[in-house]
Amino acid sequence: MIDQKAVALVNDIFEESFEIEKKELQANKNIFIDLGLDSLDVVDLMVALQKKINVKIRDDERIRNIRTMEELYDYVVQLKKEGTKPK
Amino acid sequence: MKRVVITGIGAISPLGSDVDSLIKGLERKQCAVKYMENWKDYTGLHSLVAAPAVLKNEKDIPRRKRRSMGRMGIFAAQAAEQAIKDSALGKTVLSSGRVGCIIGSTIGSPEALTEAFEAIIPRKDISEITSMEFFKFVSHTAAMNVAQFLAISGFVMATSAACASSLQAIGTGFDLIRLGRQDAILCGGTEEVHPTVTAIFDVLFATSTKFNDKPKGSSRPFDIDRDGVVCGEGGGIVVLEEYEHALKRNAKIYAEVVGYHTCGSGNHISQSNKDAMARCMNEALNNAGILPEQVDYINAHATATKQGDIEEARAIKEIFGGNIPVSSLKGNIGHTLGASGAIELIASLNMMKNSVVYPTLNLEHIAPECEGISHVRGFETKNIEILVKNCFAFGGINAVLVCKKI
Repeated sequence: MIDQKAVALVNDIFEESFEIEKKELQANKNIFIDLGLDSLDVVDLMVALQKKINVKIRDDERIRNIRTMEELYDYVVQLKKEGTKPK
Repeated sequence: MKRVVITGIGAISPLGSDVDSLIKGLERKQCAVKYMENWKDYTGLHSLVAAPAVLKNEKDIPRRKRRSMGRMGIFAAQAAEQAIKDSALGKTVLSSGRVGCIIGSTIGSPEALTEAFEAIIPRKDISEITSMEFFKFVSHTAAMNVAQFLAISGFVMATSAACASSLQAIGTGFDLIRLGRQDAILCGGTEEVHPTVTAIFDVLFATSTKFNDKPKGSSRPFDIDRDGVVCGEGGGIVVLEEYEHALKRNAKIYAEVVGYHTCGSGNHISQSNKDAMARCMNEALNNAGILPEQVDYINAHATATKQGDIEEARAIKEIFGGNIPVSSLKGNIGHTLGASGAIELIASLNMMKNSVVYPTLNLEHIAPECEGISHVRGFETKNIEILVKNCFAFGGINAVLVCKKI
């Protein structure tokens, strides 16, 4: 079951930073192919997540493997569990 | 050498978001200068006035193209889009490699620059810098963003010479087309109002400080009570096109660019120099093959600084004598710095088209040291066959453009 707080947090970023309508933000959507993000947007996604969760993830390799919204939601849940500053 | 004509114009100015609103504002003698409420929070900043433009419809630019644009990049992109539409140059031509883009500014977006350094410097931490900050504040931000926005694939360059930036852009475009290197080039400049920009002039005691409570009267070129620069913002773009290329597609032609010169004073980093200004005007006329007495109108740089206006008035008097109408538009729109050459040229082209000379707003009492030239203080009907546009910048950099009715 998807954590709804993580969904809301991520979806807010996609609406605010990437101007993607809420109805497009489905768990199975590929963030690159379906939602149109590119590698530069991923940098901004990292910065936005850092601000929202108060973590440092610039050097976190895991975000580079994320393709779908669901994977992103799970990643946010994981970050919250880990607390602060994963390496 | 090939001939070069202007076939499109576009402007975002303190008087509005298109050329029409700029012209209507000038015709109504409007002044866009305002008191800047939040600027009093800056310790030591004496000048609290500026001529801001209104940013609007920016979301008409797709996010992928807009994300790398700061405020000034958006001004440039919107002005460029207007100019292209006005010129009726087709989209496929823009990507032919024969169309370029030369747009200047003093620096990149000061707003983005400030945001980035505010994030980095206090904690020496770059982790909160987004991917786009750099693209917003680099010196060539306007040129590269406009080129990306419009898919321009010819020469892409940025001139960065403060207040002479856009006239240098137009002059450089003129030379490239004359040499046959490009068929058309979008040329111009853009700038942002920001307290850190006004501060550049303020620390040198070159800003207007006595009119914070009367902002409409603050920018007063050549007037005895002038007390300095009032910064403005916006973007101005002209489409320069090779004459035969324009004729072939039956393009509307505003004027022919017939002469250009730029030069340094080699004299002082900030003070204007009459001899260098005069040399620049003279060389531009020589370049055009035009005698001073053939010129019908001079659109002055005149930023309302104590020293700069005197030097320019004396230089004009030396080259042109006292009979050719001279006016400055800084009283209306402040000094739009890197955009001023293009925005004021666009206004001057409209004067040429309508056979009218716009006056210098707020010129109530001509300063004795600025006398001896023909100051325009009310609207004058005049057939303008040839006009001269001046821009003079910090660093002793001068630029002068000569345009002819066609």
